[in-house]
Amino acid sequence: MMYRDTFSSFHPTVNFLFFGLVFAFSMFIMHPVMLAISLTAALLYSVYLDGKGTLMFCLKFLLPMTLAAAIINPAFSHEGMTILRYLPSGNPLTLESVIYGISAAVMLGAVTLWFRCYTAVMTSDKFVYLFGKFIPSLSLILSMTLRFVPKFISQLEAVRDAQFCIGRDVSNGSIFRRIKNAVTIVSIMITWSLENAVETAESMKSRGYGLKGRTAFSIYRFDSRDKTALTWLIFCGVFLICGILAKGLKWRYFPSIKGTLTEPFTICFFIVYLFLCMTPIIIDRREDKIWRSLRSKI
Amino acid sequence: MKRIKIFPVFICIMFLLCGCDLKGGKNYQGTMEIPENGIVDVSIFKQIKDDSAVVTFKGNSNGCDYEWVIFGDDIPEPKTLNLAVEINEKQEERSSGLSFSSEDNFGFAPVLSVHLNSNWDCQNATVYDSSNKAVCGASVTGSENSIINFSVDNSVGEFIVRADNESENAPIIAETPTETKASPVSTETKNTKTDPYLTPVEPETPNAVSGGGNRVISDGSATEQDKYKTDPVPEGRPMPVEPEDTQIDSSKTYTCTFSIECSTILNNLADLNPEKIDVLPADGIILPACEVEFYEGESVYDVLQRICKENNIHMEASWTPIYNSAYVEGINNLYEFDCGSLSGWMYRVNGWYPNYGCSRYQLTDGETVEWRYTCDLGNDVGGGYAVSGT
Repeated sequence: MMYRDTFSSFHPTVNFLFFGLVFAFSMFIMHPVMLAISLTAALLYSVYLDGKGTLMFCLKFLLPMTLAAAIINPAFSHEGMTILRYLPSGNPLTLESVIYGISAAVMLGAVTLWFRCYTAVMTSDKFVYLFGKFIPSLSLILSMTLRFVPKFISQLEAVRDAQFCIGRDVSNGSIFRRIKNAVTIVSIMITWSLENAVETAESMKSRGYGLKGRTAFSIYRFDSRDKTALTWLIFCGVFLICGILAKGLKWRYFPSIKGTLTEPFTICFFIVYLFLCMTPIIIDRREDKIWRSLRSKI
Repeated sequence: MKRIKIFPVFICIMFLLCGCDLKGGKNYQGTMEIPENGIVDVSIFKQIKDDSAVVTFKGNSNGCDYEWVIFGDDIPEPKTLNLAVEINEKQEERSSGLSFSSEDNFGFAPVLSVHLNSNWDCQNATVYDSSNKAVCGASVTGSENSIINFSVDNSVGEFIVRADNESENAPIIAETPTETKASPVSTETKNTKTDPYLTPVEPETPNAVSGGGNRVISDGSATEQDKYKTDPVPEGRPMPVEPEDTQIDSSKTYTCTFSIECSTILNNLADLNPEKIDVLPADGIILPACEVEFYEGESVYDVLQRICKENNIHMEASWTPIYNSAYVEGINNLYEFDCGSLSGWMYRVNGWYPNYGCSRYQLTDGETVEWRYTCDLGNDVGGGYAVSGT
């Protein structure tokens, strides 16, 4: 079995811990440098995993969304000491609310991109492998739900094509007729998804899923490479949590922008966070290099 | 395996760097007790100044608690000071008063808050020195027992604080403004701004005023709420004027007295959102009382908005259709709920807190508008009735 992305071939615990840490730090640390690091790493990894798809996603969806978030914030939040000008409503437009809007937008973008990477790396079998034993029904539901959307879309296309062949598509006939056809398609889809869910549940039950003493087949082995990676992730996590508790990453936006930036203490956290976020990319690049050098020797 | 060897090095670096001192801005560092003899050492003031700390020094004299609110940034030069103050509370014939005396000249003017054991039935007070000259104004807050806040530039000597009686026959008030202008005290203090608490309280002259385009004075006969949920307006007070019915006539200008203050926060520093201490003025005065011009038909909100723009004071308000008025959320970045869950901005015109929004109060010539921050739903600034409706 060959993986294009070496980080995906690591043990699911390592994958999950990495994403858990990255999500938590991206969502809870509003420090602009940390956000920038998170966004850059997420973008790089997403491009590595998905190539052009990510760039299209960024242009079509992420960029407009983040721009909207950055513009909407100062329209509703007027707190801040630096008044730039006055809005038509009579409330001030402040520098702080503009910068906060941009930071929130960056955070939104970074977390969305990380989730894109997450779905590519943490496949549902990995998730079920990790949590199937502790929380069997919840992990099954989660993996089914996560799988549902792409599955639903492909099934919808199939149903629509079939209906189109017999002339009952939404693009045909009067408005009344079209609505009727659309309702039929929706009804088919709902029936299908309910049936599908019940079938999956029954099938898992008949296999004895979640029963005591039942083992699961897994191809995952926790080797020394995973051990090193896990130690590294735990170290980064503990280090950064210490940093937050010691207020080394303190940053506030209101009423005036103030925070830690150039203290050696804080810079140390930036570096560790950068390496944490870049972990999969570093691993992948190194593995690619080894692979290329091995191939060139042949 | 190589990486594992790096971990101890990293951890060592971490512990080394944990000793780094992270510098913040101003921060409230709680209360310190003033020792028996009142002497607070220079090292403490130096520490406060270096940390830009805000510290409350608490003491007691003759049963009265008092507090000095000291902003480290205001200390020009740390030195050993005697913070002890001798306070005597007394009831005079018509007005309440207290006298206090301290020994050291601080070189700066921290706010002294005196927690009385009685309730002064007034909003403002005036501080007089031993030669009976008005030195500065004082704000009277507190719900049950009054708290008097004032800052005296040179606190050496004996001072008397007297309540400004708000009835028409209060003898002190009539003299105060003229006397302060002429007195050498005001030139000595180099304080060019007028004090908000020294504003003379205008006697009520309801119908003879000019400027209020179409406002009507309540006769107190209404018994039900109006369509914007306003309880009946007490007799002798102006009825609300809907902003949409008003024409602003910019050819006629009048003047009113305007001030914005938040001294109640100084008494509730522990509740204040710690991020907001940077925007808190050390004396609690955001805009000292000043004469401002307005056009006929303008409401308190219109004037507030313009004054804040002119003076570069931050102000945020939102229109509330249910009360047909703007609601002032924050002034000078001090917002509602920033100092406890019962805090926010209230306005007072001629000594009365209107029970309706500031867009519906149409100003007339010569009125006195005060914006005050409350930390207790209006009770501490003497305006609980405007909120509770009783």
